[in-house]
Amino acid sequence: MDEFKSGFFIGGEACEGRVLVVDDEPDIRKVVKMTLQKAGYEVLEAENGEKAIEVINSGENRLLLDVVICDIRMPKINGAEAVAYFRSNYPRVPLIVLTGFPDTDMATSFLRQGVVDYLVKPVEGEKLRSAVARAIEQRELAKL
Amino acid sequence: MEISDHTKVAILGAGRDGLALLDLLHHIPSIEIVGITDRNPAAPGLQRARELQIPVIINVPDLIGNHGVNLFLDATGDPEMEASLHAHKPPGANILSGSASRLLWKLIRHESKLEAELLQSEKLAGIGSFAAGIAHDINNPLQLILGLAENLAEERDLTTVHEQAQDIIEAVKRTSAICRDLTRYSRRASPHQDVLVPVNEKLDEALKIARYASSLHDIEMIKQYQPGAAVKGNPDELLHVLVNLITNAVHAMERGGGTLTLETTVHDGQVHVRISDTGCGIALDKLDEIFEPFFTTKAPGKGTGLGLYNVKTIVNKMHGAIAIDSQIDRGTTFTLTFPKAEPAG
Repeated sequence: MDEFKSGFFIGGEACEGRVLVVDDEPDIRKVVKMTLQKAGYEVLEAENGEKAIEVINSGENRLLLDVVICDIRMPKINGAEAVAYFRSNYPRVPLIVLTGFPDTDMATSFLRQGVVDYLVKPVEGEKLRSAVARAIEQRELAKL
Repeated sequence: MEISDHTKVAILGAGRDGLALLDLLHHIPSIEIVGITDRNPAAPGLQRARELQIPVIINVPDLIGNHGVNLFLDATGDPEMEASLHAHKPPGANILSGSASRLLWKLIRHESKLEAELLQSEKLAGIGSFAAGIAHDINNPLQLILGLAENLAEERDLTTVHEQAQDIIEAVKRTSAICRDLTRYSRRASPHQDVLVPVNEKLDEALKIARYASSLHDIEMIKQYQPGAAVKGNPDELLHVLVNLITNAVHAMERGGGTLTLETTVHDGQVHVRISDTGCGIALDKLDEIFEPFFTTKAPGKGTGLGLYNVKTIVNKMHGAIAIDSQIDRGTTFTLTFPKAEPAG
């Protein structure tokens, strides 16, 4: 009945991809999850960099994680440290930074490290979904 | 004339000029105002002196004959007073009268204006460093609001619509509180407005502001407040002192986090405010310098070097004292001691 429900099954019965959202604010995780689920993504959550590393290192996530969306200002292991960890240990998983603080220097440094997108909150659902889709597409192309 | 370490001053005349002298001099710890007098019992300076608990001497000759006075400030502009003062003052006491007295008043007023300017510029410069924190605290709720609103445009379940609308309202309230806190902090401190300030409340308020200057994520907070810790002073200025010290403490723990302890105690008529960190500490040979204007350990453009200078100026004005206990790599404790203020009545 809903358009987005039909979207959930785009491309046969499979989901569009598995996304890990790393943000210390439960509200942000909730709303990003809602936005991506509508487009058929499966969404995992982590409240900081430390938890994110735990999630990616557990079980099948290691293989099945398609995109990581990461905040910067977080407790424990912050976004910048998490990005560095992901880039060196999981260079094949595309990273999108989603931050509340637009900082050109930081953005440049992240993009140089191989982060595929640098988005500033608040980001519209459509923009977020297309950033995720683009990240997955680029990864698929890289595999060829 | 040399003003020694401790000067006992008598003010003659409690009109506009006398009142201004009283207001400015009573802030200076090394000056004790022994008394103020005026022939007119309704003079505004006398009322102010009673509020400040400074002796009001009704009989003018009583004050002129007081042997404890080092310096008479004659703000009456009355030649008769001047003559009487010269004839009856205790030997060795100095007199400032007429235009000399007015000049002194002008100089002090000028300095106090400069001080206020310095404080305000430092505060505004500091707010620049809040940008990241403010952006974080505004853009996060905005992300929630945007996401929920996008969903509401398509949502058909009425219960969900109500819930999410409520979430949006809450998020808007949180966001507007940020602007309220910051405008309250950034406004110019109103001059000479000494009131009873509850220290514990001010510490909590300062903590909210300090969050913008630096992330408190990796910092454990310990609060030990003794109820009834109240001091006399300007609330805006005390807030500024506390924001400064808390921000410094958090910056000292930038690498690897730590524990921030905020403590108030009241005993023997004194209020002690302790702000402790477990951070990098201050080198012994730097302890003397940290209150100097433009002293900073921060990178160029990161600090004004006026923070602790202003802290000291304000604490002095409140008749308080600052003690520092610091060990390299162990942490620093700033202890502020103020005279305890009793609620009026």
